[in-house]
Amino acid sequence: MAEDRKVLARGLRRRDPELLNGLIEQYQYRLFRYLLYLTASPETAEDLFQETWIRVLDRGHQYDGRARFETWLFAIARHLVVDLHRRKTPQSLEALTEDDRGEPLEFAATGPSPLDLFAQHQSEESVRLSLERLPAVYREVLLLRFQEDLALEEISGVLDAPLSTVKSRLYRGLQALRELLERRVL
Amino acid sequence: MNRDIHEQAERLILQEQVEGISTADRERLERHLEGCERCARVAAATGQALQSLRATSVPLPPALAARAQLRVYLRAQQRRESGLTGWAPWLWCGLSWALGLASAPYVWAVFRWLGESAGLPGPVWKMGVALWWVVPALLTVAVLVIERRGREESGERYDDVR
Repeated sequence: MAEDRKVLARGLRRRDPELLNGLIEQYQYRLFRYLLYLTASPETAEDLFQETWIRVLDRGHQYDGRARFETWLFAIARHLVVDLHRRKTPQSLEALTEDDRGEPLEFAATGPSPLDLFAQHQSEESVRLSLERLPAVYREVLLLRFQEDLALEEISGVLDAPLSTVKSRLYRGLQALRELLERRVL
Repeated sequence: MNRDIHEQAERLILQEQVEGISTADRERLERHLEGCERCARVAAATGQALQSLRATSVPLPPALAARAQLRVYLRAQQRRESGLTGWAPWLWCGLSWALGLASAPYVWAVFRWLGESAGLPGPVWKMGVALWWVVPALLTVAVLVIERRGREESGERYDDVR
């Protein structure tokens, strides 16, 4: 695994186009989902998605292969979100919320029944709305921990924040999410 | 059971999901949940919230990866081009400087001969020698500045491509 990361780091230093194309394919869903939840705008998320990969090209030499690639990638994406947030003051991340979500993902024909899909859609809608109501600092740690399955130390690296801060945000965020979802169900 | 026990249980429910808990704590929590309907409901709701969060999918814009790949390709090309124009002027500057030094005595002699033949005062033909070196350098700087501005503007245009 560590050797794979070293190979990846060497490829990024060389700005290997094949490698970059592969990485864009491989991480498109996870990176876009992260950006979408942070910005709550598909257009902004796509802009930042492209900008993130431009940064990966420009600063590939900074990835040393010691951490997982996704940790470095999410840190770049996060910096771009923070920069955008600063530029757009006083508009907050929450204020960027928009209803248009683009084209939905297509489900396989052999998948769940229409009723299951409807229930799933309702559940996803509840989670999405609840997440949008959460403060961005809680939302991002929940996404990194429970959607991206990053370790606490990795999240600490992405956020450039102490481990204790990450933990406390996770506790508060999870509690708040649970309460918001309960309220929607009741 | 007092309020502290419920608060502890709630704390353990969250801790279990966030960073994990010891076997002893898990057993203690399970015993408490068996006898406490309220905390059991909190545990179930927490588990459900996480399950929903993990199961959530987002719609991907069509050709998301292809658009990003195109932008990265254009940027890489831009980098390669600016890399070439980055070192080439220095090479030409170096060559020009060496040539300038080597030819300086001849240029001096030619200007002196021209100046004396035309009956010009010394400071005039000497200024001609100075301009012989300064003017091309100024012109080169102007060309480089214009070229750089052009590149920056085209970079901004790339950023607008969607």
